[in-house]
Amino acid sequence: MTEAIKIKVADLSFSYRDRPILKNVNVDFAENSITALTGPSGVGKSTFLMTLNRLWENLPDADMTGTVEIRLQGRFRNVYAPSMSVTELRKMVAMVFQAPNPLPMSIRKNIAFPLKLAGEGNREFMAHKVEHALRMANLWDEVKDRLNDDARTLSGGQQQRLCIARALVLEPEVLLLDEPTSSLDQTSIAVIEELLLGLKDRLTILLVSHYLEQVSRISDTIVRFDDNTIIS
Amino acid sequence: MKTRIFEKFTVVFAWLAGLVLLAGVCLLLGYLFFKGHASLNLSLIFGDTPPLRALLLKQRVFEGLFPAVAGTFVLVVLSIAWAIPFGIATGIYLAEYAGPRVKRALDALFDVLSGMPSIVIGLFGFSFAVFLHKHYSDRIGPCLLISSIALSFLVLPYIIRTTQAALEGVPLNIRLTALALGATRLQNIFLVLIPRSVSGIMSGIILAIGRCAEDTAVIMLTGAVASAGLPRSLFSQYEALPFFIYYISSQYADSEELMQGYGASIVLLFLCALLFVTAYGIRKGLSHFVFYRP
Repeated sequence: MTEAIKIKVADLSFSYRDRPILKNVNVDFAENSITALTGPSGVGKSTFLMTLNRLWENLPDADMTGTVEIRLQGRFRNVYAPSMSVTELRKMVAMVFQAPNPLPMSIRKNIAFPLKLAGEGNREFMAHKVEHALRMANLWDEVKDRLNDDARTLSGGQQQRLCIARALVLEPEVLLLDEPTSSLDQTSIAVIEELLLGLKDRLTILLVSHYLEQVSRISDTIVRFDDNTIIS
Repeated sequence: MKTRIFEKFTVVFAWLAGLVLLAGVCLLLGYLFFKGHASLNLSLIFGDTPPLRALLLKQRVFEGLFPAVAGTFVLVVLSIAWAIPFGIATGIYLAEYAGPRVKRALDALFDVLSGMPSIVIGLFGFSFAVFLHKHYSDRIGPCLLISSIALSFLVLPYIIRTTQAALEGVPLNIRLTALALGATRLQNIFLVLIPRSVSGIMSGIILAIGRCAEDTAVIMLTGAVASAGLPRSLFSQYEALPFFIYYISSQYADSEELMQGYGASIVLLFLCALLFVTAYGIRKGLSHFVFYRP
C-alpha cells in the first residue's frame, strides 16, 4: 500500500449560523486507504466531509476558513482556488449520504444521471459505464434484468449500493461516505463493507461511522473527532 | 377531564364546520341545477345552428352560448399561457436565487399584487388599452389580448407562490443529491427540483385557471361584450360566460332569458371542471414524463 498523501487539510474552521462547528482542524489523509472518522454526534464529522467537496456552500448561513488541498490528476490542488470548478471537483470527489437517496427514476437512469449532467450523450458508452459501475458496487447481478424498474423498489441495502455505484460512475479519486450503513441491516452492512474494502486500491475512501466494530473491521486509519476538532 | 371535553368539542366543531361547508356547496349546486336544468340542452349552446357545423366554424351561432364558451376558453388558455413562464421564473428566482433582503421586498410586493381587487386590475387594463389607442394605433382598443394580459396579472401571484413554496419544500438531502454528483445549480433546478415540484406548481396553475374562468370585473372593462360572435383575433372583442351571466341577470326581459343565465352558469361550471380535469391529467402525465422518459 502506498503511503502517499492524498488530502491535506490545514487550519480548517467552520461555523453554521455563527455557531462554531469545527475549529482549527489539521489533518492529512493517505491515498488508497480507508480512513474512518469517528466521534460523538454533532461534532462536525459530516460537515467536515462537506468541506472536502465544497457541498456546504449550498447551505445557508455557513462559513468556512482554512485550506483544503487534494491531489487530483497527479498534482495537489487547492479546492477553494478560483480556478477550481466546483462541478469538476465534485466529479472527482464523490459523496454518498447517510440515507440512500436514489432519484425517482429507473435504476439505469439513476446511474447514468451523473454522466448526463456531465453532458454525455452516447448511449452505448453510457450503457457500458452503467454496467461497469454496477459491477464495481456488486449490484449488477441483482439488477441486470430490471434496469428499467424504479430505483425506489430496491431494498435499502441495494439502494445504498446503487448510490455508491452512482457515485463511482464518474470514476472519482476520492469517495466520501457519511454513515452509509446506519439505516441498514447486518447482512447489507457486511455486503457494503466488503465492497468498500474491494474499492480501496482504486480510490481514497473517507468514512464517517459510529460503529466501532465496523471501524476496526475495515479502516486503515482512524481519525477521532471531539470538541469540534480532531483529537487523534 | 376538562381537557378531554375540550378535545371532543374540537373534533365535533371541526366536523360541524366541514358539514356546513359541504351543505353550502350542495345547496349552491342543487339550486343551480334545479333552476337551470330545464334550459340545459344543445340549443342553449348552439341555438338553431347544427352543432357540428358550429364546431367546425362553418356556420355562425346567433342564439346560443357557443361564442361565449369559446371566448372564455380562449381567454383562460391565453391568460395562463402568459402567466406560466413569468410566474414560474419568478418563483424559481425567489426560492433559489434571491437574497434575504430582496426576497422580503418582493414578498411584500407580491402580497400587494395578490390582494389587488380585480376591478382595479381591470381599470388598469382599460387605461392601458386607451393609452395604446391614443398613442399607437386607432385599431387597438379593449380586446382579447388586453383582457388576457390583465387577467394574467391577476393570477400571477398564485403561480409565483405555489412554485416558490414547492421548491422551498424540497428536503435538503434531495436538494444536495445532484449537486454532490457534479450538477450545476441550473441543472439541479431543472432536473431535480422542478420535477419534484411539478405537482405543487400545477396546483397553482389549477387555482389560476379557476380564477381566470370566473373573473368578470377585469374582462368587462377590457374587452368582453354581450355580442361579438366567436373571437376572431387577439385584437377583437369577444364574448365570455361570466360576463354573459352578469349581463343577462341584470338585464333580462323575461323568465326564459333568466333561465339562460342559469344554464350559462352550469355551462361555466362544466367548462371549469373540464379545464381542471385536463390540468390534473397534465400534472400526472408531466411528473411521470419528466422522470421516466426513456
